[in-house]
Amino acid sequence: MPRSLWNGTIAFGLVRVPVKLHSATESKTISFRERHVTDGAAIEHRRVCVKEDREVPFSEVVKGFEVSSDSYVVLSKEEIAVADGAEAHIIDVEHFVLGEEIDPAYYERAYYLSPGRLGDEAYRMLHAALKRSGRVGIGRFVFHNKAHLVAVRALEDVIALHTMRFVDEFVSERELEVVAPDKEPTKLEVDTAQLLVDQLAASFEPDTYENTYRDAVLNVIERKARGEAIDAPQSEQSSKEGELLSALRASLEEHGRGHRRAGSGAPHSSGTAPRKRSRTRGGA
Amino acid sequence: MARSLWSGSVSFGLVNVPVQLYSAVRDRGVHFKQLHEPDGSPIETRRVCAHDEKEVPWDEIAKGYELDDGRWVLLSDADLDAAAPRKSHTIDIESFVEEREIDPIFLERPYLLVPANESAARAYALLGEAMRSSEKVALGRFVMRAKEHLVSIRPRGDLLTLTTMRFHDEVRASAEIAESIDAAAEPTREQIENAVAIIEELEVPFDPTLYRDEHRAHLQRVIKRKQKGQKIAAPPPRSRPTPTAPDLMGALQESLARIRGEAAGKQAEGATAKKQSKKARSAPPASRPSGSRAKH
Repeated sequence: MPRSLWNGTIAFGLVRVPVKLHSATESKTISFRERHVTDGAAIEHRRVCVKEDREVPFSEVVKGFEVSSDSYVVLSKEEIAVADGAEAHIIDVEHFVLGEEIDPAYYERAYYLSPGRLGDEAYRMLHAALKRSGRVGIGRFVFHNKAHLVAVRALEDVIALHTMRFVDEFVSERELEVVAPDKEPTKLEVDTAQLLVDQLAASFEPDTYENTYRDAVLNVIERKARGEAIDAPQSEQSSKEGELLSALRASLEEHGRGHRRAGSGAPHSSGTAPRKRSRTRGGA
Repeated sequence: MARSLWSGSVSFGLVNVPVQLYSAVRDRGVHFKQLHEPDGSPIETRRVCAHDEKEVPWDEIAKGYELDDGRWVLLSDADLDAAAPRKSHTIDIESFVEEREIDPIFLERPYLLVPANESAARAYALLGEAMRSSEKVALGRFVMRAKEHLVSIRPRGDLLTLTTMRFHDEVRASAEIAESIDAAAEPTREQIENAVAIIEELEVPFDPTLYRDEHRAHLQRVIKRKQKGQKIAAPPPRSRPTPTAPDLMGALQESLARIRGEAAGKQAEGATAKKQSKKARSAPPASRPSGSRAKH
């Protein structure tokens, strides 16, 4: 079992459910270390005092908040923790909502909850109640000196917790300069585009999307280790100017050929296998 | 205007839409700097070559990968680009799926896509319109900052938003956690029914403006007090949770009695307010449930 990152209590009404928090995800990205190009040596990060221009030990480092240019207020760990308040170990579930009302942009990180000490019965009760009601609990809690909006929901066998973003963390569309189209798309273009959407319709099967870049990078590493030169990529042809409709029609034709075997062109229905798969499996 | 993090195109069939990618969120957290305690001077992190002890400028730093035999392979950004030239510049839309099929566990970070120029804007609008009318979201993959991302693209307002997602092998299985739950600690049917009743009483339409980050404000107040030279009292010691199993049934019934008592109190104020009104999902999202409708 992944080790727990946090121990605390879910509170809703006067009910307390002791829980432990575990990460539900792990990164599979290839990680690199910084090396010096000229001699291949390791790069070390040194903490240097700007005033004295010398390296300082970690024991002499404190946290400061810049209140104005070059003027800092130093806070100890304990003083920073004061802001966490007395409720720091409680996930306070304030409301319950329908999950589909939550814009996906709010979700941040996913965790699994396991029962805390003597909390198995309460945990299973909450799990069963969330599942039966089909609702998602919304609350707040403090984790790593930061408050998080959270969603608590039942998966098939465990309770999941998602940290979410607060509404004021979003960038407004108005902050971006967005060029308006020179011409609105015509009805014919929209209809044709929609046909293409229907042709590419599938059900979401996460394991059909593999991270192939990882292997591509490992391949480059292998070639480089053998001393091969890595060619600079050819620059891609950029967008097709104009001719939107003909590009759409050509796409439809191309995809139509590839899909004929996968059945009718009808929009996906839940029972059928996703087209992407039937296509890669060929005529099997 | 914010800085674009990536530029390339969204490819949809044979249609290419040149776009720029911006973060849809910004960090609002309170951040601290490292200071040197004896003299209050800021701390700088310097990158130093372990070999010659000299500071190394950015352009002399490569990405190193250690082989099994202990040798290091150094890669440049161009090498990484060469690993997947198309994916580094194109988001290929591979399929369209229903939004509700995507479990939130896959979601990672939201971005905004903006058309790169006028002629791109038309194809951009077309893609948005087609997704809107078919009620589907697009799925694709691309490479940004030496990392491949599975992404979903959906129309929101006038813009297309892109959400990076985790690959299936980056989501852990929940089985181990499920197995750790004590099978003997079974809740009673009555407990579950009471818990469901509480959930129903506390149900509202999702309204993100109801939830503010109060912690941020608390922390800013602590900083202000410290700045004025006030003493920051240590937080009270955390009360230890009771070492016995909590009285679940008692807590459930007491919660229900209180919530219903409050609701009844509010209803008494509003003569026509009905409890069922909170179930009306078409109610304006900002309004608080039950009792907030004043008599006319």
